[in-house]
Amino acid sequence: MSGPGVGWYLIVSAALFGIGSLGVMLRRSPLIVLLSLEIMLNGANLALIAFARQVGDLDGQIFALAVMAVAAAEVAIGLGLIVAMARRDMALDVDQASALRG
Amino acid sequence: MVVGAWICLLAPLGGALAITLAGQWISRRAAGYISTLTTFLAFAGGLVTFFGLWSRDAEEREHLSTAYTWLAAGDFQVGMEILVDPLSAVMMLVVSGVGGLIVWYSMGYMAGDEEERRYFAYMSLFVFSMLLLVQAGNFLLLLVGWGLVGLASYLLIGFWHRRPEAVAAAKKAFVMNAIGDATFALAAVLLIWSTGALEFSGVFAGVEGLSGTTVNLVALGLLGGAVAKSAQIPLHTWLPDAMEGPTPVSALIHAATMVTAGVYLLVRAHPIFEAAPDVQALAAILGAVTLLVAGFVALVQWDIKRVIAYSTMSQIGYMFLAAGIGAYGVAIFHLMTHAFFKALLFLAAGVVIHHLSDEQDIRRMGGLKTALPRTHLAFLVGTVALVGIPPLAGFWSKDAIVASALARGDALGWTLFAAGLLGVLLTGAYSFRLYFAVFQGKPQEAEAERSHAHETHGEGPMSMLAPVGILAVLSAIGGLLSIPGVWHPFTHWIEETGEPLVEATAGQDYLTSAISVALGILGIVIARRAFLLDRQLVTASSAWRAFEHKLYFDELYDALFHRPSAALSNALRRRVEGPIIERSLNEIGSGTILASGGLARVQSGLLRTYALAIAFSVCVLVIVFVAVR
Repeated sequence: MSGPGVGWYLIVSAALFGIGSLGVMLRRSPLIVLLSLEIMLNGANLALIAFARQVGDLDGQIFALAVMAVAAAEVAIGLGLIVAMARRDMALDVDQASALRG
Repeated sequence: MVVGAWICLLAPLGGALAITLAGQWISRRAAGYISTLTTFLAFAGGLVTFFGLWSRDAEEREHLSTAYTWLAAGDFQVGMEILVDPLSAVMMLVVSGVGGLIVWYSMGYMAGDEEERRYFAYMSLFVFSMLLLVQAGNFLLLLVGWGLVGLASYLLIGFWHRRPEAVAAAKKAFVMNAIGDATFALAAVLLIWSTGALEFSGVFAGVEGLSGTTVNLVALGLLGGAVAKSAQIPLHTWLPDAMEGPTPVSALIHAATMVTAGVYLLVRAHPIFEAAPDVQALAAILGAVTLLVAGFVALVQWDIKRVIAYSTMSQIGYMFLAAGIGAYGVAIFHLMTHAFFKALLFLAAGVVIHHLSDEQDIRRMGGLKTALPRTHLAFLVGTVALVGIPPLAGFWSKDAIVASALARGDALGWTLFAAGLLGVLLTGAYSFRLYFAVFQGKPQEAEAERSHAHETHGEGPMSMLAPVGILAVLSAIGGLLSIPGVWHPFTHWIEETGEPLVEATAGQDYLTSAISVALGILGIVIARRAFLLDRQLVTASSAWRAFEHKLYFDELYDALFHRPSAALSNALRRRVEGPIIERSLNEIGSGTILASGGLARVQSGLLRTYALAIAFSVCVLVIVFVAVR
């Protein structure tokens, strides 16, 4: 097996996941939150593929494909929500969309 | 023959359903016709059954007809089955025949009541329930009929539901009967547990092998049911109050049929009672006590219907006495003749009450002989039959009971014999006191008021007078079915179901008859002297008060059962329900509101907070996971 060891991939994957989760937690624009979610998902995908390579079967890669499909669907819904918010002249700020406060 | 029995059972049910479902679509009068005709149809079915049995040999006169299996649990099965045998055939005829006459009479008596349809539906329901009771082929169906007649009795006593006394009387009757129903049900459960069967033949075959305690308990349970239903001491207090119902109801349910169900049960279940001779003797003793107590109380009552009600209790006491010493045929014979003359007395009293616009107090009656000549004659026939003057019905049946007590021979037999004779004296006194007060003497204020108020309309419609006439004829000749020393077709007919334990010889019969007729006439003479001298039958004031308060049974039960339980529940209400249960419920409620208010603050609605919480939780989980590994 050539290329860097699985550890390096995991470090990159963890870095991506961390950046993404920080984006989700810190940014207020729903668009950026969605982008950060994508980054988190791709970090997870990278880890899956890295482990699949290490173990040597295709299960992880197939699972990564499934995650991509789900991510595409999720983005479609998320963007639809954002468009709907914009159409109703709502502020594009997740902190202001807090009608479910207990 | 079996078809006749099923028709007899189901025709009144059909009548009740038809009246209920038709509701406002039929006139009140049509409801009366439906009820009367279906009851007479039942009587026709009973006749077919009876003559079907008659034409068979004595050994083939018992037939069990199963419609379908009603309940099945493992090996235990209860069928929807009716038993056709000499006893049930006689009971079918008595119930549907007397019942038909009384329902017919009701058409005149109840005419103009707002809720006539409901009345006739209830009456049909009652006739069906009573027929189910006497035809049931197992103890479970018998218990079903037993409960249904109690229900019909409750509904009919409380028929005039705007009168608080009627509703209270209905409740009282229902509760007192429920005690009996409960002991009966316990006995049935004990029978299932010990013999594994409920149909009569299976139970009676299994009784042989049971321990003495079990048999005694079963017999006591059945006796409890019989005592409550037949208004015997100590569960008798409901019957006088039940007179709040319409008079035909008193005639049908509380004189002719339902209250005699206890006697039927004692005879039907006689193998159980024979296996428990102590309980059987207890039944006879209770009967003797009741016949005396009721006879004494009847001496001082003022309400015409209550006097007859106490007389009913007293006469059923005779039947219990007979069934308790094992003279089954005689008990059923007296049941039948009593159904004739007591229904007659009630219906004739109903004519009087109707004539006087619902007056029931005999102090406001008198001299009705001229206004109601035919009713007077019928009432006299019923009264003489009740006292037991030959050749009317009561003479033959009551004397046969007293003679059977004599035939028993031992100390108990002699005691019962003496009680029976004393009862005859009381019967003569109280029944002729009633007769003289109502029909002889000068017209009292009620009659005077009435004739001033509106013109006389005779004695009543034909539908009231015809049943009274028929019952008068039956009361006159019904006793000729059994003449001591000459022929006994009736008692022999019943003997096929229950072989008697004692049988009086002709000599004992004649001796008893001589004494009891003499005592009956003595009672009449006493009543006549008291009437002519305008004195009461009981002159000692303490005894008078005790009898007027019905020997304080109601007060005793009030002190024994009502007040302690009311005090206990009041104390529980104050000490437990209020402070502990109610307040704890309030505190659970307010605590929940408080806690949820605190938790609700966690739901901030801020997306980023949620994300942070999720991330934090995942970190915690990872740490825990790693640490635990």
